[in-house]
Amino acid sequence: MKFFYFSFVNPNLIKHISDQQLLDNFYADHNNKWLGILLERYTLLLFGVCMKYLKNEEEAKDAVQQIFFKVIVELEKYKVTYFKSWIYMIAKNHCLMQLRKKQESTSIDLSDKIIAADGFEEENIYLQNEQLTESIYEALQELSKEQKQCITLFYLEKRSYHEIADRTGFTLMQVKSYIQNGKRNLKLMLEKKMNQ
Amino acid sequence: MNNDLFNILANNSNIDTQKLIDYLNDKLSYKERNEVERWITDNEIANDAVEGLQQLKNKKNLQAYVDQLNKNLQNQLQQKKQRNQKRRIKEYPWIYFTIIAILVLCIIAYLVIRNTLH
Repeated sequence: MKFFYFSFVNPNLIKHISDQQLLDNFYADHNNKWLGILLERYTLLLFGVCMKYLKNEEEAKDAVQQIFFKVIVELEKYKVTYFKSWIYMIAKNHCLMQLRKKQESTSIDLSDKIIAADGFEEENIYLQNEQLTESIYEALQELSKEQKQCITLFYLEKRSYHEIADRTGFTLMQVKSYIQNGKRNLKLMLEKKMNQ
Repeated sequence: MNNDLFNILANNSNIDTQKLIDYLNDKLSYKERNEVERWITDNEIANDAVEGLQQLKNKKNLQAYVDQLNKNLQNQLQQKKQRNQKRRIKEYPWIYFTIIAILVLCIIAYLVIRNTLH
């Protein structure tokens, strides 16, 4: 009973509350209820991230609990703004530390500019004007043939990875990579055009 | 067409745990798969997580894992609450001392007044 003091909260009522709003509520009244709701949104994602790096179910489950503990302690000390990027960084660093402890060499790249990338994402640029549409269309034509094909099928025709792989003959990994790199290139080209 | 082009730049809304589990268990329609995959493309954490979750041998147990981890999380939060309460007592002992002192004084005053009246 005592452990489920916020389990009565209707999930549909809290679904629309953003991560930032939940954090602000927590900073305002320090009620753990908000932290519980916020962290539960990330349980599966954290488990997945830990699985990716640790490759062991039990170790991944332990790691998630340790990450939760760290997050609970750290959130009391600091005001966090980009929660998703922050918790991702904590999880990744924790897994890398675990791997280092086991003295295994790893070539995981730590230099991801997570905060910077997500900062751009959080800005939620959605400038709907003719000029931008034209710029996106032009930038799309400048992508490599594979990237253009995958981006078009994924975003314009709303096909799934599997469907795209079936249609193009690429592997699933290639499809994913063409979409991610294509989107990144598209953003870079648009930024360049806007700065001109 | 214009809106579809804007979709490339738009940030896709969050996908909840149940939908992600359904995606991993191949229970979604092609349209829903596209929705989840657009979200994955935009989120580094989701991208890494799906890669990790796809390594699981038995994805049917995912919901049970999540439930167990959430239960443990609630335990951790409950323990933190209790620790905070204990710390508050330790940090402000004079408040409790003052309350006890006032109560004792009230009892003494009552006894003195009663004895005096008698």
